[in-house]
Amino acid sequence: MRRRRFLWVALATPGVLWLLLLFVFPFYVVLSLAFGTLDPLFLSPVPIWNPMHWIPDQFTYVLSHLAGAAGFYGPAILRTFAYVFIASVGCLLIAYPVAYYVSRFGGKRKGMLLVLLIAPFWISYMMRMLAWVNLLQIDGWINKVLSFGGIFNVHIAWLDGRPSTVILGLIYGYIPYMILPLYAGLDRIENSLLEAARDLGASRWSTFRRVTLPMSKSAVVASLLLVTLPMVGDYFTNDLLSASPSTAMFGNLINTAIEADSQVGKGAALLIIMFVVLLAPMLYYVRMTEKAEGGAV
Amino acid sequence: MPASSGEYSPISAPLNRRAFLGKSLATAAAFPTLAAFLDACSSSPTTAAPSSSAFTVASPANPVTWPISSTNPAIADNLVPEQNAIINIYTYTSYLDPAALKSFEKKYAKYNVKCLITTFESTSEAIGKIRSGGIQADIYNPSYDQMGRMVKGDLIQPLNHTYISNISNVWPSFTNPFYDQEWRYSVPYTVYTTGIVWRTDKVSEDVAARTNPYDVFWDPQYSKRLSVLDDYRTAMGLVAMRAGWDINTADPTQIAGMHEQLTKMNQATSPKVNVTDYQDIPTKVVDMCQAWSGDAFNMVSYMPTGQSPDVLRYWFPTDPHNGEVDNDMLVLLKMSKYPVMAHLFINHMLDYKVARANFMFTGYQMPQTLITPSNLVSDGTIPKNLASVVVEESLFAKGQRLLELPPAIDAQWQAVWSQFKAGA
Repeated sequence: MRRRRFLWVALATPGVLWLLLLFVFPFYVVLSLAFGTLDPLFLSPVPIWNPMHWIPDQFTYVLSHLAGAAGFYGPAILRTFAYVFIASVGCLLIAYPVAYYVSRFGGKRKGMLLVLLIAPFWISYMMRMLAWVNLLQIDGWINKVLSFGGIFNVHIAWLDGRPSTVILGLIYGYIPYMILPLYAGLDRIENSLLEAARDLGASRWSTFRRVTLPMSKSAVVASLLLVTLPMVGDYFTNDLLSASPSTAMFGNLINTAIEADSQVGKGAALLIIMFVVLLAPMLYYVRMTEKAEGGAV
Repeated sequence: MPASSGEYSPISAPLNRRAFLGKSLATAAAFPTLAAFLDACSSSPTTAAPSSSAFTVASPANPVTWPISSTNPAIADNLVPEQNAIINIYTYTSYLDPAALKSFEKKYAKYNVKCLITTFESTSEAIGKIRSGGIQADIYNPSYDQMGRMVKGDLIQPLNHTYISNISNVWPSFTNPFYDQEWRYSVPYTVYTTGIVWRTDKVSEDVAARTNPYDVFWDPQYSKRLSVLDDYRTAMGLVAMRAGWDINTADPTQIAGMHEQLTKMNQATSPKVNVTDYQDIPTKVVDMCQAWSGDAFNMVSYMPTGQSPDVLRYWFPTDPHNGEVDNDMLVLLKMSKYPVMAHLFINHMLDYKVARANFMFTGYQMPQTLITPSNLVSDGTIPKNLASVVVEESLFAKGQRLLELPPAIDAQWQAVWSQFKAGA
């Protein structure tokens, strides 16, 4: 028994260490910065490690500027939720049919299709966004394609700081993260269940609506979480495809704060707020999967 | 093994609420230990740094001679350069000609010297890493408005002028600059102005002919066609110059006024805020922008194939009192392991041929007496329409300088900038 216990501890140790080193400790540093102070000469952030001495000033500043007349953080946060919502729905509308097609009709080409779906991961996110910068320029390929070889005079300034371009970038950048878990979820659904539904008289649509869709619910939620959580913290897409304050997102607020010495503590406070906000959907997912597992038993 | 048997089983023994609370409390109890540990590990800059009340602001009206401490003296004369030195220059990306490093290594090959470049994104990041010891470098490339902090923070060491004979190539004013009288700690690296660039094929008016060309950033006809520099001092300096205020203002009313004007600018033209103007103008992402003269020069090489740089214009006020001029410096870090060789490298960078080649590589001019607009235009280095990007000493002396702000005022500026960039 003692040997078995040792085995479990040994197996858990790397994961626990990983969490301690790469989550608990960094998070504690962020907390110490958010509740820290500033170096009087360099204005650089000075963390206060002892929670008994934490100073809430920077946190209070951020909270008091989230909403109301002085709430300059508010619009960017609301904008973020709007962009992320639209981009997530866009991702789902594109990714679900793709994943459905590969899992149901991929046949022998499933492997190749999966490789093609994973291919964007081989190129860094930054490079993919920079490629879009080239494509979306006034003289770029998007306008050339839209002009149908010069028949129409198309000079759309896609990069002039418009929300639609940022949302397009988010959809393009994160869609592979959605297709894969959706595919995994849909591929797990037993064919026999679908056949049973058809045998019992259900139409194709009814089978999809009453069997496939409910059974892929947890995959949909997981894939939505996988894309929405990083999207909320994304600042790079907006920086490259817009760079306008009028499209600034939550991640940009944090990034701007971190770039200015005296604002780093406020950046840390914003990060904690984002963490708390994102905790809710994560907890929902955990609860949902627990319930599903309970139901399965 | 069932949990009820009394044996511990990581799978079958779920964490009940009481156990969870118990473990949480244990973790919480451990935090002070972690805090004490981290406290012990960190050097507390708040206690080590001088108070902000002792802060000295250098300005043309108040030139400062920084003291040389007996604990941080310059190196002695006539020292033999270190053997096998590796000189690390801490600078911005693409801000130093690699050929300058090669020629230095070749010049001092008998000492087997090697040079390398380490880059930073912002001077805030750089200062942070230098202070924390996160980087081991010899030469650092700051702007002059960091001088006071670096001297007071004991980050740089004084220069021994006997090793830097090429200072004679540099504009005479830099042998006694206001921010470092007697050039005790610094030599100039680059000089630049901040003005407005536009494309004549996209902007029909002559921006320079306006009564106040800075107004273009508030002119709705240029909505979403502009960019300002993503540098709070420079972009807010533009707002101040337009209003006729001091670009180093500490007046709370004027700082609030800058906030108001930035908001109005955002509403009127919604400009991009970035530092990629040298690419954005050539590729028509924007038609007009606030730009450093060095980036304006760089736009020529970024023009797409087949397009002429003749469409580019750069405006800097004819009355430089209403224009911003700045310079960056080379300083020797106190942490340098090879101070003699580092002195020789600084001297090397002030050599005319090296400086000119460096200007061509980076786009940023070094203040050498032999570099003049007429020379550069006549030999075809710079198109005639961009002759104004070359900085002349007489003009430079009259321009407005971004001065080091007292920390409390600086924090107010940064707070306004954060609000502007939030796009509220």
